[in-house]
Amino acid sequence: MNKALLEVEGLRKIYRSNRKETEALSGISFSIKKGEIVGLLGPNGAGKTTTIKCICSLIYPTSGKIYVKGVDALRHPSFALKNVSAVLEGNRNIYWRMTVKENLEFFAGLQGLDRNYTRESIENIIEFFNLSEKRNVQARFLSRGMQQKLAVACAFIKNTDILLLDEPTLGLDVESTYELKNLIREKAEMDGKTILLSSHNMRLIEDVCKSVIIINRGKIVVQDEVDNLKNFFRVNAYILEIEGKITAEDKENMKREFLLVKFQENKYNTIIEVEIKDTSRIYDIMDFLRKKRVMLKSIRNREPDFEEVYLRIIRNETLDTIQDNI
Amino acid sequence: MRHWILFKTIFKKEWIDYKRYPFNMISSIITVYLVFLVFFLGLKFIAGGTTKFGSTTEGLIVGFFIWTYAISAYSSLSWSLMNEARAGTLEQLYMCPLGFGWVSIFLIISDFFLSLIFAVPLLFLMMLTTGKFLHLDVITLFPLIVLTISAGYGIGFISGGLGLIYKKIQAFFQILQFVFIGFISAPVDKAPILKILPFSLGTRLIAENMIGKVPIYRMPLSDLFLLFANAVIYMGLGMLIFKQCEKIAKKRGLLGHY
Repeated sequence: MNKALLEVEGLRKIYRSNRKETEALSGISFSIKKGEIVGLLGPNGAGKTTTIKCICSLIYPTSGKIYVKGVDALRHPSFALKNVSAVLEGNRNIYWRMTVKENLEFFAGLQGLDRNYTRESIENIIEFFNLSEKRNVQARFLSRGMQQKLAVACAFIKNTDILLLDEPTLGLDVESTYELKNLIREKAEMDGKTILLSSHNMRLIEDVCKSVIIINRGKIVVQDEVDNLKNFFRVNAYILEIEGKITAEDKENMKREFLLVKFQENKYNTIIEVEIKDTSRIYDIMDFLRKKRVMLKSIRNREPDFEEVYLRIIRNETLDTIQDNI
Repeated sequence: MRHWILFKTIFKKEWIDYKRYPFNMISSIITVYLVFLVFFLGLKFIAGGTTKFGSTTEGLIVGFFIWTYAISAYSSLSWSLMNEARAGTLEQLYMCPLGFGWVSIFLIISDFFLSLIFAVPLLFLMMLTTGKFLHLDVITLFPLIVLTISAGYGIGFISGGLGLIYKKIQAFFQILQFVFIGFISAPVDKAPILKILPFSLGTRLIAENMIGKVPIYRMPLSDLFLLFANAVIYMGLGMLIFKQCEKIAKKRGLLGHY
């Protein structure tokens, strides 16, 4: 059986300041197996960064346990840090006055890695991250995209089994995000890394992670595979394209009859987006349209994008309440 | 082996920092030299000084040399902690598997040697300006300077620790520089109790060597022991307070704040 490489049990963190208490984490538990790439999602202030920093021994949790390779990370932080590296806050993790190569050498040395290992690995990683031309350029002269690539490369050079990436694509344009996303995915697969990836970029999560943990107000709301979550929404939403337009009265009738109905009209056609509780109700929609002598041009399952799935989970809090509402 | 790799890594980083900021280093030497000139010219016109050597030009050179080294010592750790926090790299240093304790010790050792780049030219500049060439016995001076400056690193640990929690404490740093002058020029001959202050006894012993040409093996054993104890206590106290501040910062999640 594949054993968990990272385990978090009942992690709780309360920040106390000026007699005010803020509970950032309310006893969250999860585990990640070797080679898994897991997304950590949640709105601002949900507790993502606190979770990551607790695992890195940068924040002391109020209670709870963290195990890295089965070893208590809070009691043995040195062991944990031999196996965990992190990118925190995008490009703010590298030395701006050092070159690309010097940064990589520094972070490898900080991890205590032998120079013989380092020399070859640095060359490989520079090449892999397409930084060859910039190897002797100081980080401050690189574009933001390259700086963030370098920050991620510095985490990979430490050669740890576990990588924690907190917002690695923060502030990047579409092209840079796309490139970095592919590099992370390829490198992780190539080296068999275990990754906990926090991001607000749902495309990144959807493309890189197999499963996700969604937290809100310090609690885990959902922990499941991306595909399962998408499937959960897929079965209940349809897009119908009809010829011509539909009257305002009929629109109102449809809205009363079915859950969440949206209309989008163009010159010749109308697109109706409809959600239903029971899939058999699709026949009721058909009957309704036939009665109105509306010509149906096409019908298809609406493919929910992961962003929508995420938003609905965050708004409805738990899958049970979502189930009840649909 | 891992410790040696970490030391080389930290030393190289600090060296790169020195290399990449040449203007900063040159302007620092010029500024400190100008301040020295003010003191030197002031001394020529105003008689004074409280220590055995304090009233002489030679005493001024020694005192000034220790003062600049002491400032560099305490500010190296406190400033670099604040700069690293501001740049976002402090948390990465804290993720070193050997622990931040070793990182900071290697930072201090690197800084001690790299400060020579700053302190030695300044010393020669001061000697050239005043025409007073002091005795430079490295065998005696090296251990005395290390022990004297250790108190500076201890204070650096304290202010660095406070900086982790309170962040904006630059004003405190600046005030401390002037407090150091008081420590260095403390009249330890008239009031031996003042030997417990940081830098005071060390400056006196260094002056004994640089001006009086007294080698370390002719110095009173009690003074050398007291200097050693002084170094250990201030350094230990500094590290203890730093560790407490670090605990608070980790509890409050302040390490990454700037």
